Formats: sequence, structure tokens, C-alpha cells
Amino acid sequence: MEITSNWYLILSALLFSIGAIGLLIRRNPLVMFMCVELMLNAVNLSFVAFGDRLGDIAGQVSVFFVLVVAAAEVVVGLALVVAISRRRATTTADDLSVLRG
Amino acid sequence: MVEIIVFAVCAAIVLVGAVGVIAARNPVHSALFLIQTLFGMAVLFISLEAHFLAAVQVVVYAGAIVILFLFVIMLLGVDQAEDLNIEPIVGQRFIAFIVGAATFVLMVATLAGSSDAITGQRQATGPLGDELTDNNNVRELAEALFTDYVFAFEATAILLTIAVVGAVVLAKRTSGEMLPVPQNTLEIREADYQARVDARAAELEANAAAAAEAGEDGSAEASSAAASDDDTADDEMADAEGGDA
Amino acid sequence: MDFSAALPVADVVAFNRPAIDWHAASPELILLGFGALLTLVDVIFLDRAKQYTAALAGIGLLVTMVPILTLANDMSETGPRVMFDGAYVIDEFSLIMKAIFILSGYVVILLSTNYIAEGDYWESEYYGLMLSAILGMVVMASSRDLISIFVAFELLSIPSYMLATWKKRSLESNEAGLKYYLMGVFASAIMLYGMSLLFGASGETILTKVNASLSSDPLTGESLSSSTPVLTLAVIFVIVGFAFKVSAAPFHNWAPDTYSGAPIPVTAFLAVASKIAGFVALVQLVFVGFYARADVFQPLMWILAAASMIIGNLIALRQTDIVRLMAYSGVAQAGFILAPLAVAGDVGDQALASIVSYLAIYAAMNLGAFAVILAAARKTGSTSIESMNGLFSYAPGLAVAMTIFMFALAGIPPLGGWFAKFQIFFAVVEQGGTWAIILGVLLAVNSVIALYYYASVARRIWADQAPDGDLTPIRIPPSLGAALVLTVVATLVFGFLPGAVSQFTDVGLIAGG
Repeated sequence: MEITSNWYLILSALLFSIGAIGLLIRRNPLVMFMCVELMLNAVNLSFVAFGDRLGDIAGQVSVFFVLVVAAAEVVVGLALVVAISRRRATTTADDLSVLRG
Repeated sequence: MVEIIVFAVCAAIVLVGAVGVIAARNPVHSALFLIQTLFGMAVLFISLEAHFLAAVQVVVYAGAIVILFLFVIMLLGVDQAEDLNIEPIVGQRFIAFIVGAATFVLMVATLAGSSDAITGQRQATGPLGDELTDNNNVRELAEALFTDYVFAFEATAILLTIAVVGAVVLAKRTSGEMLPVPQNTLEIREADYQARVDARAAELEANAAAAAEAGEDGSAEASSAAASDDDTADDEMADAEGGDA
Repeated sequence: MDFSAALPVADVVAFNRPAIDWHAASPELILLGFGALLTLVDVIFLDRAKQYTAALAGIGLLVTMVPILTLANDMSETGPRVMFDGAYVIDEFSLIMKAIFILSGYVVILLSTNYIAEGDYWESEYYGLMLSAILGMVVMASSRDLISIFVAFELLSIPSYMLATWKKRSLESNEAGLKYYLMGVFASAIMLYGMSLLFGASGETILTKVNASLSSDPLTGESLSSSTPVLTLAVIFVIVGFAFKVSAAPFHNWAPDTYSGAPIPVTAFLAVASKIAGFVALVQLVFVGFYARADVFQPLMWILAAASMIIGNLIALRQTDIVRLMAYSGVAQAGFILAPLAVAGDVGDQALASIVSYLAIYAAMNLGAFAVILAAARKTGSTSIESMNGLFSYAPGLAVAMTIFMFALAGIPPLGGWFAKFQIFFAVVEQGGTWAIILGVLLAVNSVIALYYYASVARRIWADQAPDGDLTPIRIPPSLGAALVLTVVATLVFGFLPGAVSQFTDVGLIAGG
């Protein structure tokens, strides 16, 4: 038996689905951000696996950009949470319901 | 054989970590599970010949991003456990699982059916690198990064700068006087709270009356129920006050 | 002693510096320079710079127009300029879109000038972030590979998340920012997964090469069909990612909440510039990257277009807040702009030209409408739809402007919108298939529904009494007045002289497509 890149792709699909489910069921913004990180990691794995299959460095270059952008996104997301928690004690996505319509 | 064992172990580590992230009640535990997933991913990267990315994965993700998460969790004191037994929107979880499972099945089905069509061997940008020569992984990555992708690379530099500037602006305490709580959130909260307290009192009264009619056992039960209700009311009051502070 | 053996110099592979066309990159470089200058001025002069930052940002945008005009002038001689192996392209389409982004960015800065300075949420970094978001859009208009599109998308999104939260002490603004952020990162994760599948299915990241390898097998030259499942999934994921950005139904839930919570100039920015950037990315992907695979993207675009028009319009009918009304009408407008993409494979040129003219006119009308809302809110302090009541009795100029924008959005001749709507309609009907005709009918029906709610706003302005009989006139600061005049003139010119628009927007297929 040999490990082909398809195995990695299926693992990546599974990870992506877990992240998506987490994002939909959790209410704590911090945990939701972590779920987004899981999804981005699934993307990275898929890029690297495809790059390995194709023998092309472009897959790894893409991962490099995803990593950098993920770092920037997290910084902004956490700053948002800090800014919001200055105004209110609890931070769950359901508490944020001033706007409904 | 070694390859299979490495893959199996790392896949298990990654998946257990991922499930842990979404199932842990305490955000701190979620962050620790996230580190587990990220380390597993780093090993998988090595087995896919992405050596530089494996190092970056550990340094940037596990070393910086998750630490940032932990800092914010601790700083804000939002590490209380979230009660996962309460489902905020009825049926939401069920739908989320269905959506997630459907996505997964769809992805696996399409990937499994695709393996022949993808011919590989195109090498658009450059090879992955070879350990035996000087054209190693880092060099190949750098060459692609600073030739074909240099424009995007410079753009990410700007992106990181504005992310830092923006984060500082957002997270810093505003100088000068703090304005009063805007609009009427405070009154609404108080009114809302008062209404809930009134409703609860009326309910308890009715319960007590019913219990008194039913007899002694019933009244004992009612009073214990009232006591626990008081506790929740106190919690709610603390929440409301915390929110307005 | 001879050290040369120990030194690794001899091993260094010659690094081929990529050729950079500085003229082509100059709009981005100028914007970047002004962004840095703004930050520097702010750091050095602190509060003393407060009154100049907006002007400096505006000047920066106007200066950026200069290289765009010179590039456009050279275009007839040099043809499209291509850099980095096709990742970065300057062609007619990208120049027109860059001009639209910069001019709408300029109008947003005019709107912001007094709003941000007078509000209690002044932070000097506002204009720096605004310029970097515009920079992301300008980069987006030239990006022709998956990675550049992704980076440009983030470069315009990340400052937008922060701008939407700019009123830090307002719960609504906090909520607007967090919702926008969560939706945005979710969308970009989905889009990235689609991009990784696209990379796997084609082995390329440059869009023209993606298209080439999707249309035929590189070894045999035969038409490729066996990777269609992966490709279908990839296209769905990428398009869904951008559907969030352009607030197409059913991915529009964030839009009304974010629009009503964010500061009004930022709302105008999100509703116009940010949304157009999403469309630019979609147009580039469809016309360059997936063009050979019309069988995959056309049905998807059909569904998105139909759903957006119907859902957007029906929910817009029962809105009581003018900003939320604009948000839902924006969802419906997104449906209109997506409609030509559903027939793009058959009537490419016409579909592209109709989208470009719609985007130009849409920018003018929508920015104008938000300018009036902003001006009215200066007096009434609210954005409820009742605050428009009797606008004519105390601010006749604003009332006339708002009426023009509302009827332009509804598509009543001779105002700007009708030409845009007719072009879209003809492009769709031109294709002639059953599904295209159904879409054409939906376009027509939805135009009528939209007319109802746009006209009801106009009726409030002219027929109803001002609340409390308060007839104090609205003081309009010069910058806001300039923004109003610019948008009114643009809307009228686009309507009366549609030839002038189509002359610019009649671009051929995007270079390399």
C-alpha cells in the first residue's frame, strides 16, 4: 500500500469540514476564529499535496501567502474582539443582536 | 511502510486536535488542541517535501498565532466555559452537521474520481527541490517568490503593516474622556431586567400558591426551586451590570 | 591563502530579476506613497495634521489618476502591458476599473471629511486605511493569477473590517465589524479551498494558463472532460467566496447589519467600491480563468443572479430603515450585475461591456444616494425611512438630488440607470436560450418591483410632512456638497449621453481571455 496525495486531500477535506462545522455551531468568536484557522490549514494541506503531485513549487508559494494573510487576519480579528470586550463583558456572537431586521 | 505509519499517526493527531478545537468548552483548551493540529500538519508538510513550510508552520502558527489567541483569552478573561448543552438556534447543530458532512462527501467523491485526470508533470513554476543538489526547497521557494510572485509578495508586506496599524488603533483605549454609554442601551437593559425579575416573581408566587394548595411536600419543593431561581436571577444581574460597566 | 574554495560564491545561482514596467505599476506606487505619507504626517504633526489629512488623501487619489490617464493614452500604441508572466496585466478593462475605484474612493473621502472629523470617533489612521483598501482594489483590477487575486482581496478586506468597526464605542458598529469579519474570513477560506482545487485541477495559478489547461488536455490536445467534478467544485467554491463579497443572495445576510452599523461613509464605501471589487474579481475569473468552462459557471451564475434579484427586492419592500433598504436594494442590484455572467460564455463581449457600464453607473447613483442619506442624517440624526419625510420642504436641493438617484436606481429614463439596465437586459436576451429568456423576464419583473420601493422613498420626500414640522435647513459642508454635485452630474451625464459611457466601457474581451 502506498500513500498517494489523494490521502492527504481527503484528510484536508475532512479538516475543512470539521472547521466549517465548528464555525457554524460555536458562538465564542475566539473559537470561531480558531475554526477558520482549521479551514485555512486544510487549504494549506491541499495546496501542498497538489504541489507534491504536480511537482510544482507554486503550491508551496500559495501556502506561504495563506500563512501570512492568516496571521494578518488573526491580528485584526483579535483586535476587534478586544475593542468589543472593552464595551461589554460577555462576548458571544449571540449577544450581538442590537441589529435585527 | 514508514510513510504509512507517519501519515496514520499524524492524521490521527490532526483530526483529534481539530475535533478538540470545536468540542472543547473552554477556549484555552481549544487553543491547545489547535496547537496539536498545527504540529501534526507540520510533520505532514515534511512528508510532502515542504521543509521550509513545516518550519514556518511551527514558528508562525504554533509560535505566534496561537500564543496571540492565548494572550487575548487570558487578557480578556473570557476563558469561562461555554455551555455547549444550550443550542442557541434550534436545529442549528443538526443543520451544521448535515452541511459539513455533505460538503465532505462531495469533496471526497470529486477528489476520488479525479486522480486519473490530473496528469502532473507540468512544473509551471519550478520543481520542489532536491536534497542532493544545491537546488533545495528553500531556494526553489525563494526563487519563485521573488520572480513570478514578487508583486503579491510586496502586497502582503503592505497588508501586514496595515494590519498592525489597524489593530493598534482598534485595540487601544481611546484617549480623552470616555463618553457615556451611547443611546439607551442602559435603560433598555434595565427595563428588560426589571421585566424579567417581575415575571419571575409572579411565576414564583403562582407556584407557591399552587404548592400551598397541594400540601407540605409540594411547598418544600417550591421553596427549593425558588432558591435556585434566585441564584440564576443573581447571575443575570451580575451579567447585566458587567455589560453596562 | 586561497579562500575562494571555502566561499559559496561560485555556487550562487544567477538570480534573474523580474522585469518591472514601472509606468504600469505607478498608480499602485503613488497610492502607496501617499498612504505612507499620511501615516508619517500623522506621526510627526499629531493633532495639528487633523485638518489636512482628508485633503492629502484626496490629493493622493487625484494624483493617482494621472498615470492611469497616461497609461490609457499609451494603450493604443503599446497594447496591454503584461508583467510577471501574466500575473499582472494592464489592459483597457483594468484601467477603467482602476479609474472607477479611485473616483469612487475620492467621493467617499469627500463624504468622510466632516463626518469623521466631527464625530466622536476621530482617529487619524482612518484615511490611511481607506487608501490601503483602495490600493487593494486597484491591485485587484490588474491581478490575473489566483495568488494575486487572493492577496488583493485581503488587502481590500482587512482595512474594511476595521473601518466598519470605526465607531468603537457604538455597539452597532462593533457588531457590524465582527459580523463582517466573520463572514469575510469564512468566505475567504471557502474561496481559498476552491483555489487550491483549481490549482490541482489545472496545475497552474496564472488565469490564462488555468483556462488553457482546463479547456484541453496538454498531452493529447483533446478536449478535457474527466476532471469536471473537481473543476465544478472548485468553481463553486471560488464563486461562493466572492458571492459573499458582492452580497449576492443567499450569501447576503451580513450586508444589512454591517451597512446599518458602520459609519455612513464606510457603508457607502462597502456598498460601492468594495462590492465593485468583488465583481471585478468575478469578471476576471469568469472571462479569463474559467472561460472555456461555460457549462460549469453559467448555471451557478444564473442561480445566484435570480436568487439575488428576487430575495433582495422582496425583502427591500418591507424595510423601515433607509440604509437597510439600500443594502437590500444592493443585493438586488448584485443580481442584475451577475445576470450577464450567466450568459457570458455565449455573448462574451456584450456581457462584459454591459457589466462595466453598469458598474460605472452603479457607483455614481449609489454614492449619490448615500451622500443624501448622510446629509439628511446630519439634521435628523437617524437613518429611519421616516427621516426622509418632507425633505423637500426644508432642503429642496437634497430632495431633487435624492429623487434623481432613486429614479436612476429604478432605471427610469433619462437618468443613468436606464441605460445600464437596458444593456444588461439586451446582453441577456441576445443569447436567446430558454434559460436566458427566463432570466430576462426576471430582470424585467424585478425592475418593476424595485421601482415600487424607490418611488415610495421619493413620495415621502415630496408628499409627506416633515416630522414635528421642523423646517430648519440643513447646513451642507463644502466637501459633502462637492460629492453631491459630482454624483448628480455623473448620473445625469450617464443618462443623457449613454454614448459617452459606452465609448469608454466598450472594452474588448480582457487581454489574454
